[in-house]
Amino acid sequence: MKGLGLQLPRATVGLSRWRRFRAAVDWPLILTMLALCAIGLLNLYSATRGVKHHAKFDTQVQWMIVGGIAFVAATIVDYRALVRLAWIGLGIAGMLLIVARLIGTSPADSGHGTTYRWLNIGGMGLQPSELVKLMVILVLARVFAQSEPTHYTPRMLALRFVAIMAPVLLIAVQPDLGTAVLLSLIVLTVGFLAMPSVWPMVYVTTAGLLAIPILWEKLHGYQKDRILGFIDCGSQPVHTAAEKLLRDTCWHTQQSIYAVGSGKVWGKGFLEGTQNQFNFVPEHWTDFPYSVWAEEWGFVGSVFLLAIFAFLLVWILNVALSARDRVGSVICVGVAAMTFWHVVVNVAMVLGLAPVVGVTLPFISYGGSSLVTFFLAMGLVANVSLRKHGY
Amino acid sequence: MISKGSGMSSGSYGPALPELHKRLRWVALAGIAAFALLVGRLWQLQVMRGESYFERTVSNVVKERYLPSVRGQILDRNGVPLAANRPAFDIYATPKQMTPELHAELARMLGLDDDEVQKLDERLAIGAKHDPKAPVMILEDQGRDRAALVEQARARLPGVEVRHEPYRYYPQGELAASLIGYMTQMTADESDRLLQEGYDPSELVGRYGLEAAWENYLRGKKGVEHFAVDARGQRLDDQTASSLITGERVIDAVPGANLVLTLDAELQKLAEKAVSHQSAAAVVVVEVKTGKIRAIVSKPSFDPNVMTGHLTKAEYTMLMSDPRKPFVDKALKATYPPGSIFKFATAFAALEDGQAAEDEPIVCTGEYDLSGTHFRCHGTHGRINLLQAIQHSCDFYFWKLAERVGIDRIADVARDYGLGAPTNLGLNGDSAGRIPTKSWYEQESGHYKPGYAINAGIGQGDVEVTVLQMAMAYAAIANNGTLYVPQIVERVESNDGHLIASYDPKVEHTVKTPADAVETWKKGMYKVTNELGGTAYLHGHIEGLTVLGKTGTAEVKKHHRADDEKDRDRWNPNAAHAWFAGFAPADDPEIAIVVMVEHGGEGGDVAWPIAKQILEGYFTKIHPNGATLRDMPAVRR
Repeated sequence: MKGLGLQLPRATVGLSRWRRFRAAVDWPLILTMLALCAIGLLNLYSATRGVKHHAKFDTQVQWMIVGGIAFVAATIVDYRALVRLAWIGLGIAGMLLIVARLIGTSPADSGHGTTYRWLNIGGMGLQPSELVKLMVILVLARVFAQSEPTHYTPRMLALRFVAIMAPVLLIAVQPDLGTAVLLSLIVLTVGFLAMPSVWPMVYVTTAGLLAIPILWEKLHGYQKDRILGFIDCGSQPVHTAAEKLLRDTCWHTQQSIYAVGSGKVWGKGFLEGTQNQFNFVPEHWTDFPYSVWAEEWGFVGSVFLLAIFAFLLVWILNVALSARDRVGSVICVGVAAMTFWHVVVNVAMVLGLAPVVGVTLPFISYGGSSLVTFFLAMGLVANVSLRKHGY
Repeated sequence: MISKGSGMSSGSYGPALPELHKRLRWVALAGIAAFALLVGRLWQLQVMRGESYFERTVSNVVKERYLPSVRGQILDRNGVPLAANRPAFDIYATPKQMTPELHAELARMLGLDDDEVQKLDERLAIGAKHDPKAPVMILEDQGRDRAALVEQARARLPGVEVRHEPYRYYPQGELAASLIGYMTQMTADESDRLLQEGYDPSELVGRYGLEAAWENYLRGKKGVEHFAVDARGQRLDDQTASSLITGERVIDAVPGANLVLTLDAELQKLAEKAVSHQSAAAVVVVEVKTGKIRAIVSKPSFDPNVMTGHLTKAEYTMLMSDPRKPFVDKALKATYPPGSIFKFATAFAALEDGQAAEDEPIVCTGEYDLSGTHFRCHGTHGRINLLQAIQHSCDFYFWKLAERVGIDRIADVARDYGLGAPTNLGLNGDSAGRIPTKSWYEQESGHYKPGYAINAGIGQGDVEVTVLQMAMAYAAIANNGTLYVPQIVERVESNDGHLIASYDPKVEHTVKTPADAVETWKKGMYKVTNELGGTAYLHGHIEGLTVLGKTGTAEVKKHHRADDEKDRDRWNPNAAHAWFAGFAPADDPEIAIVVMVEHGGEGGDVAWPIAKQILEGYFTKIHPNGATLRDMPAVRR
């Protein structure tokens, strides 16, 4: 056991190994995860009830089993060992991104247009960008492990920042603007919460905000419209493929809003959502599962699901506060940031508050990459939690 | 156990990440703010606006399709159907599911021609505007072959279906076509208005004649079937649909009402047969004591069965470019100079004013001189009285009378007989015609010439009337002074025979002409048809039936034939219109008849034989009048 780095609390001397292990496991975290998975499966069952999509439920169950194994693995291996390998991991993830760009595919039914974010390994679609998120969190933990601000010279800090942002840039040109923005948000959030001095992050953020108008001017007309698209779909006929994409995206958002709104207070009931059952929100099992949930379970169910996510976030932060070291704390902050932004961006998108970008809802969205990523992330939190007693 | 060089801090108690502790309040605030925003949005969408979004989602899936009502029949007075319904196959398609491939497949499979493809595209466009997920009729009244082809290939043709729907059909073909009218699909221009009135994009609309004028009665009330579709427009099964639909799933259609006409189909056939050798003609037969129209012919005609749906572009262009104008109703809409049959107005004006007497002799020299202008009578009739002037249709005599009474008095009488104003039949335009007066000329050309009265006095110049107006006027003469509003619809019955509305004869007014003046005109008419020298008598008469009549030969303004008119058989646009107006039997008139042959020539020569044939037929077959016609030979020319 020592070789694996598994340390068990010594305070429970006299109890069996198993009981000591059971006492150290972060049950609230696991139960919250299981609750989310259950809701996700329930929702997926309703969302894919059509004859054509019924296989997705089984696939998701299989991915959950894979995810469970990944969770255990991520819990058992000491997180400090993992953090030592963080830069190598990020390097590998970056390489995979480049490979995916060169030989990657875009699944025919993904509905995302021509992007190169999928890597086909043994029949399993893998998104290297998901791996990048985890590696970036580990790298951040390594970078911020030092409490003394003098440890890094500005030049070293800048070098590390560039090294972290390089894969983000690679993702941005896939193009997968959603994931790129999400990664940036994770980096910024962790920076704000873990850097000894908050000022560098304030500068970066300010610079980023100032760059928005310049970037905005650089965007194509239709890209701007796409970002603004969630405001007004317009009624003019569409001519080009770009216009059609914009209109369709806008239409999805509108149908999504109708679906959410039509749930009213108590919802239409399980399997009763007409927007969902009759496919008015296309591909609703990947990016729009929350609209399915909101339609069938209403305001009450929607708030309930948000509350579970809120509890999960509070719990992860709690682990961060009680972690035995800085590294573990930063890992937890990183996972919390990732979870937080995924939930907020996805739900805002479903509610028509954010543009349609491919950001999944943790444990609820259909798809192996996202699911396994979050299992691994929660595994890291459990890992930190398991070792918080300082052994 | 962890070296400093690895960049890890050694384990020590206390907050592992003091920065997090310091900034926790901000973290909590930011997180709560973000979640509060989401919950607020949920509240707005689901609680505040939930109801309206709920309705939207229902209308997303629940669609309605109309169930066609069976259109009312149009029947003649004896119940003979003139417009009825037969089962037909219509092919429908859903605009949303119409891909270019499907479009090509349909065209290939059914062998559609360019016309049909164009029509199909137009209908899909109208349908898409209305509701892209609702099926729209793309090909109407298809044969069994095409219907079977589509039925067999349904799996390959998403959104395409065959429906069995009642179809308008005119069992008598061209008979009374311009009266009955026809039906077509709505055009793109009018679709907005009609859809608002509750029409379905694939519904046929009455286009002409009674079909158009009585549309509201004939149409009935369409039924509605509610059904549910998914996002692609694919129809869901009825069980699923029932759970989504509140209220009635199917509301049955109410069939349209039947029109029972005053028209007599048999007499109509007789009348159409009588003008069958003419290029363009009109006939109106009315019952003199009621104003009911018994027959009304406008020739050339068209086949409403062809007009309703199947007409190709080429045929349509041909019909529309015909110089004889088949779509201008010759009995109701087109106006013509009446010629001598108008002379009653001049005679009545003069008799009423004491400016003429039955036996006053006037010498017709063949040429009438009015302040330097010469008018030529069609003969030199010598010394004749008023009755003889009617008999021979002497223009000279009436010029004299016209000069005496003036144009305004003639116009007064003409208007009293309903000329110059629409008859209020309410069909196909129903023109007013034109009865010129002094003030009309002053308005039109700035000055009035006495010669205008001379022309107007014999129904020429600027006098224009419709054939129906003349029939009503002669019916008023026949019944001694009651001018009726013409009537074509006897009653309206529901589909199962219950009376909905019944119409009584409507008197327009009683004319002012004194009885003795009418008597004088009738005496003259008697001579026309029954005495040697009468303009009609020369061309045959009916044995055993006394017809009173007046012929007219209305000169037309001369013009060169247009190129496209030259090759038309017997169509000479410079020839006079041939008229006959009369009624029978003489002692107690029953029906009045007016025949007009456009550019036909002499009234007595051309129009009277036609009228004679119709009257003979009426009094032998339709309403045999035993006393008068016992010994009548079957056919006389």
